[in-house]
Amino acid sequence: MNSLIKLELTRALRNRKFLFFSVIYPSALFLLISSTNGSTAKVPGSGLTLPTYMMVSMASFGALTAVLMGNSERIAKERENGWVRQLRLTTLPGRGYVLAKTASAAVVSLPSIVVVFVVAAALKDVRLDAWQWLALTGAIWAGSLVFAALGVAIGYLATGDAVRPITMITYFGLSILGGLWWPSAVFPAWLQDIAKWLPTHAYSALGQAIEQSQAPHAKDIAILVVFFALFAGGAAWLYRKDTLKA
Amino acid sequence: MTTTVAATGSVVGFEQVTKTYGDVRAVDGLTLALHPGETVALLGPNGAGKSTTLDLLLGLKHADSGSVRVFGTSPREAIVAGRVGAMLQSGGLMEEVTVAELVGLACHLHPKPHKVTDVLARAGISGIADRKVNKLSGGQAQRVRFALATAGASDLIVLDEPTTGMDVSARQAFWATMREQADQGRTVLFATHYLEEADAIADRVLVLHRGRLLADGTAAEIKAKAGARRVSFELEGSIDDAPLRALPFLTSIDISGQTVRMQTSDADATVHALYGLGVYPRNLEVAGLGLEQAFVAITEAEEAKQS
Repeated sequence: MNSLIKLELTRALRNRKFLFFSVIYPSALFLLISSTNGSTAKVPGSGLTLPTYMMVSMASFGALTAVLMGNSERIAKERENGWVRQLRLTTLPGRGYVLAKTASAAVVSLPSIVVVFVVAAALKDVRLDAWQWLALTGAIWAGSLVFAALGVAIGYLATGDAVRPITMITYFGLSILGGLWWPSAVFPAWLQDIAKWLPTHAYSALGQAIEQSQAPHAKDIAILVVFFALFAGGAAWLYRKDTLKA
Repeated sequence: MTTTVAATGSVVGFEQVTKTYGDVRAVDGLTLALHPGETVALLGPNGAGKSTTLDLLLGLKHADSGSVRVFGTSPREAIVAGRVGAMLQSGGLMEEVTVAELVGLACHLHPKPHKVTDVLARAGISGIADRKVNKLSGGQAQRVRFALATAGASDLIVLDEPTTGMDVSARQAFWATMREQADQGRTVLFATHYLEEADAIADRVLVLHRGRLLADGTAAEIKAKAGARRVSFELEGSIDDAPLRALPFLTSIDISGQTVRMQTSDADATVHALYGLGVYPRNLEVAGLGLEQAFVAITEAEEAKQS
């Protein structure tokens, strides 16, 4: 299976468009958004400056992009063109394909996170303790697994022309409503009530808790665990259905 | 256990295998055995159940009833043991990687791999090793699929309509490569709807129609069974049909007006005897039967036998 992971990685790193959207784009968006107010303005209810707050949002957004965008469309396409069938004629175990996709996405999501951190520290003077940087990287990286599972589920749910719009709606919907682009504190109250139950909101809240020198809230972890179980279970079910249909 | 192994000393064993999709019986009570070293053509028109049969053989689909054994084990076990290499008609390829990288992956996944350079050379794709897979022509992609099927020392090679999308010269080169595989003692099974291809390549031809095995024999036997030639001509004056009906090797005859149409399993002998009758046939035509008609002929013969 390592050979497939290696090849998936080679391919992902060669794809400039993918690298742009998962690595450069979140950093650029971070600079744009964090420059709108002075870098000392605090985000309501968090005690964090806007750049500090948005750094975690955009790192989470970049990781989300890397694990969700690449996989869903590729899986759908490779199911359709028969590559998945061809792989089933090799010694690769059935789950190997999905695991290789997830593993390679996880590797690509790491630079998405780190580049945003570097930009934030270098250009926006975001200062944190060493343990906080490490914990942030770990938490955002681990949390991205939830959305990797979602990407796989969408890849097995939709085919052809449908997969792109479904991915886009899910991606932008989760990003914007979850408060990755603007702090959800600026949303109207009714929207905040919805936002706080979204996995993306819980995801960025993990990192923001670390920035506040707190342990992540149990509620956010619980939300992420539930969504992970939901997405992974859905992906497994759809995968099995697809295999039987062949 | 020993009896099972003896009974399935064959490479592939189908036992009363049935597979249905809704109301359609794609494979209908199919029983067959392939033996080591054979080159076998699975011949049939579109929709005969060829692809489904191969999918069952490769474990991509599961039979509704009956058993499919490959080297005495389940298809999946045989694949994991590295004994089966296959090229699917709809076998997609991973895109945005090079031909060499993709073939390298296939070699790496095979328990008894060949060297990547050897596999590329044998498939005739060394020259395009650095090309991206999504930039290949149809024929080149087929060759890459062939390389994936022969990445290791498999004992059975399964090919589903392998020459689709190839021009005549590519086709000939492909079959030359395939024959090398067979000469090394491998069992080769390929599906095709070209009778000529089956005729030229296979030791044995299995004719599939509506999911059932219609005929099993050498290509010559199949052609004979199908009444392989059609002879037609015109005669002047009143036709005395008794001597015509008595012509040798005739499988059917139809006389309408001045026109006589017949099917024969040996056109040379039939035409020779025709001239021996002292008649002067005009506009004589001898033509091969299309596969479609050959199937009709075999099916009619089978039905006549049963009734």
